Amino acid sequence: MNRKKIAVISGKGGVGKTSLVASLASIAHKAHDVNLIVLDCDVDAPNLALILPPKSKEDVITQDMYTTKKATFLEEKCVQCKQCYDEHFCEFNALNWDENKNIPIIDYLACEGCGACKVLCPESAFEINPVKSGEIISYETSSGLPLIYGKTKLGSTTSGLLVSEVKEHAQNLKKYNETNLILIDGPPGIGCPVIATVSGLDYIIAITEPTPSGLHDLKRALEMVNQFNIPFGIVINKADLKSASQKQLNRYIKKSNHEILGRINFDLSIPEAMSYAEPVVAYAPESVSSQAINKIYTKLKHILSKL
Amino acid sequence: MVKPKIICVTGGKGGTGKTMVAVNLATMFKNRGYKVLLIDGDVENPNTYLLLNGKLKNKTEVPYFLPKILEDKCNKCGFCAENCATHALLYIKDSIPILISTVCSGCKLCYKICPTNAIEADLKVIGWIYTSSAFDIDLFIGELKPSEARSAAVVKTLMKTLEKDIITDQNKYDIVILDTAPGAHCDVEELINQADLVIPVTEPTRFGKLDLLRIIELINLLNKEYRVIVNRSSLLGYKEKFLLDLEEKGIEVLGDIPLDEDIVSSYCQGIPLMESSRNSDKNGMGYKSFNEIFEKLMEWGEFSK
Repeated sequence: MNRKKIAVISGKGGVGKTSLVASLASIAHKAHDVNLIVLDCDVDAPNLALILPPKSKEDVITQDMYTTKKATFLEEKCVQCKQCYDEHFCEFNALNWDENKNIPIIDYLACEGCGACKVLCPESAFEINPVKSGEIISYETSSGLPLIYGKTKLGSTTSGLLVSEVKEHAQNLKKYNETNLILIDGPPGIGCPVIATVSGLDYIIAITEPTPSGLHDLKRALEMVNQFNIPFGIVINKADLKSASQKQLNRYIKKSNHEILGRINFDLSIPEAMSYAEPVVAYAPESVSSQAINKIYTKLKHILSKL
Repeated sequence: MVKPKIICVTGGKGGTGKTMVAVNLATMFKNRGYKVLLIDGDVENPNTYLLLNGKLKNKTEVPYFLPKILEDKCNKCGFCAENCATHALLYIKDSIPILISTVCSGCKLCYKICPTNAIEADLKVIGWIYTSSAFDIDLFIGELKPSEARSAAVVKTLMKTLEKDIITDQNKYDIVILDTAPGAHCDVEELINQADLVIPVTEPTRFGKLDLLRIIELINLLNKEYRVIVNRSSLLGYKEKFLLDLEEKGIEVLGDIPLDEDIVSSYCQGIPLMESSRNSDKNGMGYKSFNEIFEKLMEWGEFSK
């Protein structure tokens, strides 16, 4: 198999992305023909490391990232002309005027580091500097699986850029050359971190549940994926839930001719496995959910081999 | 100016029950005679109206700046591309810059600095704002257009709509409830920042705890008052340990909601559990715990009609 990059996304949060990724990773890592790297790109709330912890804490590498830029005001250069405020240099409303001191003040949470103030100020009283935006953490799990994840510094505004860094980081691993599968745990939603996650991928697994919001958010996620022309398959979690949305979900998938990778029925083994910090396929290999996930893996493998 | 009290329901982790809690709190305030507005700020996946069987009305576009290069005016100097922080303008010597619209931040710098005024302020639609109403609750809903990235810009427009509404009629609403996206991203931050009280909803799992601690870090960063709701608290019997853990960390809990089939069915029906016209089980665990939570909420905030 040529190297394939795939991600699990969902639109709606809390439908089982991380649990599925952890189990698929655990199966793939054991397979003799797969060389896997796993990434957690949910940089706002990275959780995969809870189920796939490091072999030893000493081997965990944490690297500070500076993907965000912010403006700095240089008071000594300012001639208090107030142009920056009056002429609305900043489109993000991060430039306010301190009436007492008669100088601009920067709202650091709102600042996007675009540099408009720096370029437009006639006295060059603004600078743009990189600031810490988060961390990238990488290690090997107890079974020797390489795992990389990102974690945003709260209030640093650019999750998308950090996601791209996590993906690039995988390429710097020594093992990358022999790697033939990169499996990504994606963020919820369909906005900038998700777009950064799916860009350049070969295949997407969209996981959902048969509830009104599960279906609604799945449709939106797939609409986004279609814009990027990436093939995808659907996994239905809690597939036996008693809900009027069952019919609608099945009708939607059938009508759109989407591929179903598998269905996982509601199974308490999944939260139980999570509480023991293990993928369900390792914690309860005979459980209905483990069997379903093994089937999903087989089907996925077949699809990837044909891409 | 009398402002309505703004309560922000958030949570860090996805699928913990934010929207379910927001919808039921709105319903309980309404039951007590408060004028309630519910704002769906999860613009990537707005779901509140689904839980209320509401119809979307008054669709308005959320426009966003995009540069338009006037080819006859452009002297191909490349100054715009040189100063574009996100590299949304690609310049090849002696040719007209090419726009890569997906990475444009909308900062307008190119438009402001072009020496030949060859850049026009064009607008693209990045999402929509709707209104709706159901069960005597007004709704504002924001929706990000799929494949667009700037959810925070849609959230900002949503909050501006509220501002305009309050300016025209100060007494229109007593209570505004904000429902946020999962995560701790800029759109969530924007909404927490607007709130008087913040309610993070979590679940008693490892994931729930980790993400809760992160969202609390953000809430603290923004200097807001918060109290936690633990949803699905009967899951696997961790409730006591989980609550104890929060107590040790000095995290105040507003209440907990055990697993309850009636909550799931109300969710799928599109009628809130606490809606008086719904035939909810008044002795059910969900119903009782919501009433308890509401009493504590009334003690916590000073709400006036």
